Amino acid sequence: MLVLGCFFGLMLVGLPIGYVLGLSGMLGMYQAGGMEFMNMAAQRFFAGLDLFTFMAMPFFILAGEIMNRSGITERIVAFADALVGYLRGGMAHSNMLASVLFAGMTGAAVSDAAALGNTLVPAMVKQGYSRPFACAVTAAGSIIGPTIPPSNLMVIYGSLMGVSIAGLFAAGILPGLLICLFCMALIAAFGRRWKLPKSGQRPSLLRIIKAFRSSIIALTMPVIILGSIIFGLTTPTEAAAIAVFYALFVGVVVYRAISFADIVEMLMRTARITGVVFLIIAAASILGWWLTFMQIPQKITAFFLSTSSNPQVIIAMILALLLFIGMFMDINAALIILAPVLAPLTLKIGMDPVHAGVMIVLALNISLMTPPVGACLFVLASITGEKIERITMSLWPFILVETTVLIIIAFWSKLTLFVPRLLGL
Amino acid sequence: MSQLFHYSSQVGSRLNWLIERLCALLVALMVIDVWLGVLSRYVFNLQITWTEEIARYLMIWAALLAVSCGVHYREHIGLMIILEKMPRTIHRWFRLFLDIVGLGFFLILLYYGINLSRDGASQYATIFNMTMVVPYAAVPCSAALASLQMLLVALKDFARVTGKDGAPC
Repeated sequence: MLVLGCFFGLMLVGLPIGYVLGLSGMLGMYQAGGMEFMNMAAQRFFAGLDLFTFMAMPFFILAGEIMNRSGITERIVAFADALVGYLRGGMAHSNMLASVLFAGMTGAAVSDAAALGNTLVPAMVKQGYSRPFACAVTAAGSIIGPTIPPSNLMVIYGSLMGVSIAGLFAAGILPGLLICLFCMALIAAFGRRWKLPKSGQRPSLLRIIKAFRSSIIALTMPVIILGSIIFGLTTPTEAAAIAVFYALFVGVVVYRAISFADIVEMLMRTARITGVVFLIIAAASILGWWLTFMQIPQKITAFFLSTSSNPQVIIAMILALLLFIGMFMDINAALIILAPVLAPLTLKIGMDPVHAGVMIVLALNISLMTPPVGACLFVLASITGEKIERITMSLWPFILVETTVLIIIAFWSKLTLFVPRLLGL
Repeated sequence: MSQLFHYSSQVGSRLNWLIERLCALLVALMVIDVWLGVLSRYVFNLQITWTEEIARYLMIWAALLAVSCGVHYREHIGLMIILEKMPRTIHRWFRLFLDIVGLGFFLILLYYGINLSRDGASQYATIFNMTMVVPYAAVPCSAALASLQMLLVALKDFARVTGKDGAPC
């Protein structure tokens, strides 16, 4: 009880989540076995990071940074615009589509939100969209990034729970596309009602081909990453390292947009972003020891199973829990704490581990854009200068639609598992 | 107060400048090391296993050292709901309190990290006959740096005052 009180208390008053996890975990160790047990704190802190698969995260971050710096974002946006820009609400549609194309290159929603928020939101406002709506579309699209592989969250989930990362990656493709489809349908519905701006004529095939050719180099990257992981040629970490190589090649040799100073700066940024995430992972593994020691996962599983024996009800309860916790907690921390608690439960009710993983990751992704704590909301608000409250007002239809997709994913396992099964994963 | 502000922000920035570049170097080495591993495995068909272990330790060192950079820039964020609504004078003291709690975390980690590294002397990594002191030392080093940056950033932000009423400038 004391440990949980310490955890929630410190979190509520605003102590950074990494410190909260570490301190409450240490308190738990002390309670369990005095000073002797405390020696384990440093051990767990180290061991929590000592996984080769985790390395995919900094690599995907670095590759994304490099691609972004080489001007890939503009090319991808131009290509998306050539495809769907002529529709009513065209820029909103191309924003969504660009998120999908972008998703194959980055592993984190926040970086997608930052990249597209910088370029597309001002452009959309100029064309006559309201700023909150432009931000809402970008936020809604940004969570496609960590749903469609590569995905840092899937790397964490797969590494910790011993689920095939290749399987998770393959299973994330359809849900990501489904989110895009549903959101585009929503935009189309809004477009008719609110008379969203149109940007002119249908582009000629020639223009589409031209835009495609100028972004083909960028679009090849996801194919390389996914291909080598899904077909088992390389481990996810190696594929991520290859992605870094490819991005560097494109940025330095093909586009000549990157200097040595840029590389140093991107390496430093990668280290810093990684440091923030890894502190959370390492500290969470201190608290994780206490959770295991106290058999909290078993107790929670027993509690869930005592309320209902119907798997559907349990899944609904899991989703509600994830969405609720995700509103307040950092997404990485939530995943690391909740995954070991929920995964055994999903196994008990007969869910496929890959299906359960995708469902948990998607639910937490949606929480990236729910206030009060939504990383994508914060990023967009700080980039565009729009108030979070006003973005939220435009965002809730998208949240509703994406939650619908989540429910479809959760209860229709065949859809999620279609691609992995097809590939024999 | 203004001198304290000046001093702590100077020391913090310089130390951070150095650590950031060290981290960049470590990340670069890690990337090159994994490339080597891929090359040796797929191109030259060699059975080199040490690249993986080195990469892991490089990653841990880089990420843990970068924790102190995150402290310096205040990038480790928590819930802002309550903090945002506080009046400025209380806010300043409350942030100091949170910083002290954070400092406490890193100091405990430092103490037990030193223990861990000492124990590492009798354990060996699977490569090069290296003792585990080398990778384990990342924990106390990181905790020490993070504690220092925490202290400096706490002093800096606390000392950033102009008037007597304690309002931040």
